[in-house]
This record gives sequence, structure tokens and C-alpha cells, in this order.
Amino acid sequence: MGLEFESDKQFRDAMDLVFRLMDEDPDMGPRLRDADVPQRFEFDDLDMVLNVRSAREGEPGNLHWEWSDDVDWEPKVRMKMSAETAVRYFQGKENIPIAIARRRIKTGGDVKASLALIPITKPVNAMYRDALEERYPHLVA
Amino acid sequence: MLPEPPDIPPPGEAVTTAEAARRVGVAPSTLRRWVEQGVFADGPVDGEWPPAAVAHARIVARLRDRGHSLQEIRTATHEGRLAFGYVEELLPDTSARYTLRDASRRTGLAPKLIERIFAAVGFPTGSADHLGDYDMEMLEHIAVVLGAGFPLMALMQLIRVYGQSVAQIADAEVRLFHLYVHEPLLRDGVPGLEMAEQMNDLTARLLPLASPVMDHVHRRFLHHFVEQDIVGHMESDLGPASSELGRLRVAIGFADLAGYTQLTEQQGDLEAAGVVERFVANVTDTLPEDARIVKTIGDEVMVVSTDPAALTDWAVGFQTLVSDAALPRIGVHVGEVVYRDGDYYGREVNLASRVAARAGAGEVLVTRAIVEASGRHLEFEYIGEVKLKGFDEVTELFLAGLPEE
Repeated sequence: MGLEFESDKQFRDAMDLVFRLMDEDPDMGPRLRDADVPQRFEFDDLDMVLNVRSAREGEPGNLHWEWSDDVDWEPKVRMKMSAETAVRYFQGKENIPIAIARRRIKTGGDVKASLALIPITKPVNAMYRDALEERYPHLVA
Repeated sequence: MLPEPPDIPPPGEAVTTAEAARRVGVAPSTLRRWVEQGVFADGPVDGEWPPAAVAHARIVARLRDRGHSLQEIRTATHEGRLAFGYVEELLPDTSARYTLRDASRRTGLAPKLIERIFAAVGFPTGSADHLGDYDMEMLEHIAVVLGAGFPLMALMQLIRVYGQSVAQIADAEVRLFHLYVHEPLLRDGVPGLEMAEQMNDLTARLLPLASPVMDHVHRRFLHHFVEQDIVGHMESDLGPASSELGRLRVAIGFADLAGYTQLTEQQGDLEAAGVVERFVANVTDTLPEDARIVKTIGDEVMVVSTDPAALTDWAVGFQTLVSDAALPRIGVHVGEVVYRDGDYYGREVNLASRVAARAGAGEVLVTRAIVEASGRHLEFEYIGEVKLKGFDEVTELFLAGLPEE
């Protein structure tokens, strides 16, 4: 059975949650900041867009993300997927090459740069599942 | 920071020159001559040989057997080149206390079988004639396993896999310690004895950690493969009945880096090795759950999976993700293979390897069996009937890829 969101807001909260986990993690956060790969996520079924980049000098935290295309930076990697695929992806339940081949994830830009992020973000999978279990158990894949 | 060394083996008592000579396998007069000629930086004190000095003497004896002069050995000692040898003292005692006949009597295993077991592990020929406590313990465990009904044919394969894998681990431990600990100390000109002490201390702290780490890794992988096996059983119950004993139907993928030799020429061995390391790490990080790397040979990776469609999808998706100076070329095929000693053999494996060899940089080439097992979301461009090296019959090859949007 697929994952169902009660509202767009719930999906947005679930995404904010995973980016907060990555941002605040003492290992992942700085590594993602150093990797400096601005990404654009498009959730086509909900018509929502999230842009994320490394925090700039003087900005708090390691990552900065906005739910908009109206941002002052250019994404390096573009990924388009459904909301469900996104939540599964951050739980480690979507194999990226397979999802690309099966068109569950469509990519653009410097896709190759995203490969370097895979080992960095792996630890968030288990953390995210735990956090979802607590707040939105119906979204655990 | 490293933890304090837990349960380091006791350093042992100092022994007399006669006892030291017996342990080293030379005459006491030889030992005394070596001392007079200044071969030891930390020789005996008042005729008493501490364990490190005995270990050093054993290395000297080995070097003498190999034709090195005392002058060469003295220089090497003072430069710290022999310092690693002291570490031997930290390893368990392997002195022979039992004969083959003793072992047979105690374990109930036939002497011929014990010899076969030792050969399968990879121990030197004849070593089953001189057995230590740990050898005996190992044989007792094996006897229990056989007594419980585990088939001998399977056990011998398992023992061979243990032997090969553990030999590779021990070899890597020694080589990496040499390259990253001993060599830098030598370059820094640390005096021989101080170097030996530093290395001994580090080894004493690390050694007790090795077995628990390996034990944990082993358990984690066992857990993973047991799960995979259960899933495999479920799915094979639903699919066509398998094969003979020891044969499996699997998808086999080979991937290597096109232009790797040229890359080595242009950028040097270390840079090229870094590219291979990233490539293997990328494969490892992205493989689907039911697939695993069987082996890597230089820049080539062999992968098997019980799901041909997933492996093919992975290969196509992987090609869209990779970068680097040398792009992968991948070949995928599915068929019945022989599983032996932890590896996969047979015509179909050879065929998969040949298919990969025909692929160009960034390409995924597959056989008809793969096309038939794959989903419609991929596009397969027919290449034609190709005569692959070593095969009498032609093979139909297809270029797998994503369809145009």
C-alpha cells in the first residue's frame, strides 16, 4: 500500500523534518555544507518545489532550504519525483539508480554530483524512519 | 583516542640463553656470537633473554637463512627495519605440541581428512604434522560441525573460503601497518628500539580489537545474507524449479572502467587507484539489496543478483550517475551457474564477462535472456549476433538504456 499524506502541509512538514535532521547532524551537516551541491526537488504530484543549498558564510546551520523557485541561487542537480517517492527516498527505500531507470525519479543538471551525496546522507535514513515513527507513523515505508 | 589495551597477552618471562637458542632453533654459541657482533639493540641482560629479544633473534635467524650478512642485519636493526618483527610476541603461541595422530585420536577425524582440511585452509604442506593448541581447537570445532550432519563437501568449501578471506585480511593488516605506520617512522628516522616500542604499543592496543570487529562484521553480513536467502527461496518457489545441487540461476554483471590503462599512464598509479576506489565505492553504495559484489579484480567488479530486472535497471541508472575520467562499461547476463568456494563459475559467468568486454564507455550491454526478464521502461537497441571470444555460438547483444522522453 502506498504512503498517503493527509495534506500538502503534512508532506511539507515531513520534508522539513528530514532536512532538519541532516542540517543539525554533527557529522552529516558539515559534510553536506562542504559538498556544496545546491539541489532542486520537484514533487510533481503536489506541484511543490524545494530548493536547498549549503549555508553561506555567517548563516546559521549547515543547510538552507526554501519551498520556492524564487531563490537567488542556481541548482546544480534537479530531481523530480512524487511526494511518496521522496519520503521513501529519504528513508533509504528507493534505490536511486533503479528509481532513475524506472522513471520514479527524473534527473537533470549535474546528476553525477548527487552520487557523492549518497554515502554522506545514508545515516539519515534510519534517523528519518525513527522520527517519522514518532510523528507520522503512517509515512514509515 | 585509542582505548587502553584490554587483555594483552602477558609478556612472558625472560629465558636463559639455552632456552632462547632452543626457541630460535640455533646453537647457544650462535646467539652469543650475534650478541657480541652487536646484532641486537635490546639483547639479553645478564644472560636473560626477554621475549622481544627472542622474537628479534628469530627474525635474525630467518634473515641468516635467507643469506643476509650479520653486517646487513645489524644495520637494518639500528635503522628500525626489523622493528615490526617484535609484534610477533603479541600473537598467540603456535608452538607445536601435538602430532597428526594425536589430533586424529582426540577429534575422531581421520588423519587424511585433517590433512585435507589444512590444505583447504591454505596452511603450508606438512603443517598438519605439528599442531598447536589453537589448531587442535579448530579441529575440534570442525569435528562437531561434521558430527552435527553438515555435509563434508560443503564444509570443505566453507573452510577454503575462510582460509582465503582470512589470509587476505591478515595480509592487508600487515601491509597497511607496514605502509602507514612502519614506513613513516622509518622516514622520520625514529631510532630502532623506540620504533619497536611504539609499534608494539600500537599493535597491543589494536590487536584485541580485530577479532570483535571481524566477528561483528561477519554477524551483520550473515544477517543480511540469511534474509536474502529466505527471499530467494520464496521467489524460487514461485519461479521455475532449480537445477542440480550446487547450481543457481542468477543475474551476473561485470563492470570495469574503460580507458583505465590509459588513465594509469596519464595520471599515475595512485591517482588511477583512487578512481577505482571511488568506482567500487559507488557500486557498493548503490547496488540493489539483493545484489552483491562477488569480487573485484583491479578495475573490474563482478556482481550477482537473484533479480535480473533489478540488476539491469541498476546498471542503466548507474551509468547516468557516474562521472570520472574513466567511464564504466557494464555487461549483464542471466543463467545457471555453479556456486563453489564462495564464487560463481561456468559458461554463463564467462559469457557475462565477455559481454561486458564488448561494451563501450558508459554503455550497458545485455543478452536476450536479460531483455526477456526486464521491464518495458527500458529500451533495448539490438546490436546483432556477435561472436564472443571463446564461444563457438554467436550471442545476441542489446544496448540497454532509457528511452527518450
